[in-house]
Amino acid sequence: MKLPAFLEKTFPIIKSIFRSRAFRVTILLMLLGLSGYIYYLDVTIREAFDGRKFSLPARVYGRALELYPGLKLSRERFVDEMKSLGYHENPDPKEPASYKLTMNGVEFTTRDFTFPDGAQATQHVHAEFADGKVSLLQVHGATDTDLPLLRMEPPQIGGIYPGHNEDRELVQLNQVPKMLVDTLIATEDRQFYTHSGVDPRGIARAVYKTVTGQRIEGGSTLTQQLVKNFFLTKERTLTRKANEVLMSFLLEMHYGKDEILETYLNEVYLGQDASRAIHGMGLASYYYFERPLERLEPQEMALLVGLVKGPTVYDPRKHPKEALKRRNVVLQEMAGQNVITQAQAAAAIALPLGVVERAPAGTSPYPAFLQYVYRQLQRDYREDDLRSEGLRIFTTLDPFVQRQAEQALKSRLAEIEKARRFKANTLEGAVVVSSTQTGEIQAMVGGRDARYAGFNRALDSQRPIGSLAKPIVYLTALEDPQHYTLVTPLDDSRLVYKERGAPDWKPQNYERTFHDKVQLRVALAHSYNVATARLGIDLGVERILDKLPLYGIDRKPPPFASSLLGAYGLAPVEVAQMYQTFADGGFRTPLRAIRDVVAADGKPLQRYPLNVEPVAQPGPIYVLTAAMQGVVREGTAQAMTNYLPAEINVAGKTGTTEDMRDSWFAGFTGNRVAVVWVGRDDNKPSGLTGASGAMTVWGEMMKNLPTEPVQPPMPEDVEMANVDPVSGARYDEGCKQGTMLPFIKGSAPVEVTPCGAASAVVAAAPAEVKPEAKPEVKPEAKPEVKKDAEKKGVFQRIFN
Amino acid sequence: MKNSYGIFLISVLLLAGCASVTKTPEPASTTPTTTTPVEQPAAAETFVIEPVQRASMSENRAVVSLLEQAQAESGAGKHEAAGASLERALRIEPRNPWLWNELAQVRLAEGQYAQAITLARKSNSFSGGKRRVQAENWQVIGKARVAQGDSTGADEAFKLSVDLAKQAKEEKH
Repeated sequence: MKLPAFLEKTFPIIKSIFRSRAFRVTILLMLLGLSGYIYYLDVTIREAFDGRKFSLPARVYGRALELYPGLKLSRERFVDEMKSLGYHENPDPKEPASYKLTMNGVEFTTRDFTFPDGAQATQHVHAEFADGKVSLLQVHGATDTDLPLLRMEPPQIGGIYPGHNEDRELVQLNQVPKMLVDTLIATEDRQFYTHSGVDPRGIARAVYKTVTGQRIEGGSTLTQQLVKNFFLTKERTLTRKANEVLMSFLLEMHYGKDEILETYLNEVYLGQDASRAIHGMGLASYYYFERPLERLEPQEMALLVGLVKGPTVYDPRKHPKEALKRRNVVLQEMAGQNVITQAQAAAAIALPLGVVERAPAGTSPYPAFLQYVYRQLQRDYREDDLRSEGLRIFTTLDPFVQRQAEQALKSRLAEIEKARRFKANTLEGAVVVSSTQTGEIQAMVGGRDARYAGFNRALDSQRPIGSLAKPIVYLTALEDPQHYTLVTPLDDSRLVYKERGAPDWKPQNYERTFHDKVQLRVALAHSYNVATARLGIDLGVERILDKLPLYGIDRKPPPFASSLLGAYGLAPVEVAQMYQTFADGGFRTPLRAIRDVVAADGKPLQRYPLNVEPVAQPGPIYVLTAAMQGVVREGTAQAMTNYLPAEINVAGKTGTTEDMRDSWFAGFTGNRVAVVWVGRDDNKPSGLTGASGAMTVWGEMMKNLPTEPVQPPMPEDVEMANVDPVSGARYDEGCKQGTMLPFIKGSAPVEVTPCGAASAVVAAAPAEVKPEAKPEVKPEAKPEVKKDAEKKGVFQRIFN
Repeated sequence: MKNSYGIFLISVLLLAGCASVTKTPEPASTTPTTTTPVEQPAAAETFVIEPVQRASMSENRAVVSLLEQAQAESGAGKHEAAGASLERALRIEPRNPWLWNELAQVRLAEGQYAQAITLARKSNSFSGGKRRVQAENWQVIGKARVAQGDSTGADEAFKLSVDLAKQAKEEKH
């Protein structure tokens, strides 16, 4: 036997290598490297475990329903509210979140809930309803006692989630039923309490299968599964497996079984709700059964444990058959390991899945509102904290108002498309609803598919507002009662306006005719463009546009006269801010979506209190409101009577832009301000005026909401006078003829016309419109601008 | 500057001459009231603004209970909590001038004087000519003006407050 030549040469070299110092150093370095690596893994594990073990998403709540005798609320609506809060019917509703219908009402028990102002304990209550109102509210006890007020738990309306939209509800081990833990161990890792992180047979099998090219499956201990989910990627390689084993050992060295188990119970992935990932037994229990873990039955626990093997394959909502099979396998394991008796198992196997039906909601069913909340929060909080600190955000959203807004938009747009034979799904829209006196946003719809978390038209779509801009012009006039009142005649004859930097402007009325002299209130009611343009020019374009910031409009419109007629884009939420100020007597209350932010431990972090700024005198606002009520009573929005009774006295304004590209309605009742936009995303004409599009959505929505009439308190400097609606002549107070209109004291027509006299007498308001306010109207424009005069510019686009 | 001193002097003299407001300090828990004692120089003739029963501030027991809660919180120095309770009440009765007045008092206690004045004005706008609550609002405005260093304005507000309270009392009789 002779070694091959090359080996003969190399063998002594190899020998010398083994003997050399260099080799020993290398081995030492490798060992050092390995221990360094292990040390690194150790630090990684301990950091992750000792520090925050889980990212907790921020929970976002809607408004809590306040129940009190006298509240306008039907029993049906209240039951809806309870269902949305996850209450279930129970013949003896003594446990939290259960209810039973009684003769005229509901008997129910609320949950413990920690509000920003403290904890509120569970209460067993009886409420009765009559004539669409709460008629009785009593708390059950030895003797039933009247309750002046009951605050329900707020509905959770979404969350702000960490990466991968992981959601979870943390549980402590002592909150988890022993049966669930036993079932988990029986099914996934029977040696859990005895092994040291790794089950040697499991490793042997895993190595064998990997080496022989089969897939790695099963055999992992709970510790390994936890390590896998917690620290490692999903790739299946030997290196990863080695890491997993090392880390599992390390984990078991540092932490007790209970700690590992608790972490596992909170980490395990158990389902997918659209974009939201359901992690942990605590959340899964709610997600599948709408109950906390401690109230689950054996077969329900078996289902949750069964899901560990494959939340997608055994999804009980999508694959009920597979889920049932898997659950029953687990139930048999339970009996086999004496977690339950054979009889119990047999009984449980006979039961249905019992999973509550639930449409996928993803991170929120109200993406538009959530986006608004999120943007406000981003100003005050770090992104990381929002997504991981378990903050609780209390917001103003009223799910009932939101539902009406969504439904009105969806149904009206579909009806309009059908009636006008438009291509289906070409119209889009947006709605913003706020409370008149507190500025709280109750609903926000960003598009007709309200569940779709995409382009939010309520916030991000700036479309020309057209005539919605007019009230600012009229308010500016009415603030000068020496010269302008509701009956002041305005000039609605042809107008050519030349200004520097813009083509000649020849505003047209919607119906393309001119009306010589019209009363101020009539010009607003019928949305006459020419009269409004002339009025605005007389008052001063700059003076009017400079007012917008007071009304919460930070965007600066182009400094041209066409801006008087709304030739600038605003988002619906900005318009809502402007109209809120009109609705609230000239007090601007910044619109709010968030009331409180509370830390995970219940400590209040921040309140967003109600703030009020006076921006307009209440007198002129009162008179303007009367004019805006005229828009609905006798002007462009008369068709509102199809939706709301005249007694509500809605005040509002329609808006229609060039070629009917945008259809707007902004208005208010005594308790709500709402803005609706309808149009097309491609900005093509929609064929709709403000009245035929947006206003019908507005009316449809409001008719289903509890609505208070518009009755602003009359300021001390305002008086009512009886005037002729056509001539503006003043009649005696007792005269049956005429209309009562508000005037700033001293500005009503002075001369009194005898009762019965014809309305031919044209009584002008106290003084004529001063012609000296017109210096901006220049006879000639600069020649270079004239070139563009024939082009139809954006400045000429606004009609109504 | 000289001028303003002059005006200040005159107004002080005027004030001394006319009725000055003193509210009797009362134990916090016994009488249900909204009022707090006013620090005013004692004068020969004093007019006492009588406390208003909370129950008369709203017919809605839910609102009254929240008002009570807010006043208890205010009394304990928990202004933020008081503000939150009042906002709950305002969601139920957004046009109740007493609630806006109470919120104005909370802002005053928090040192937000401009807000206090605005809220008092807003309360006045909902007062519907009810002088009693207007008197209360002018008290708030007066105190806020004192804190803002506007003693002339404060004096005017206090005087108005007393006049309104007097008229309210006469109306009652």
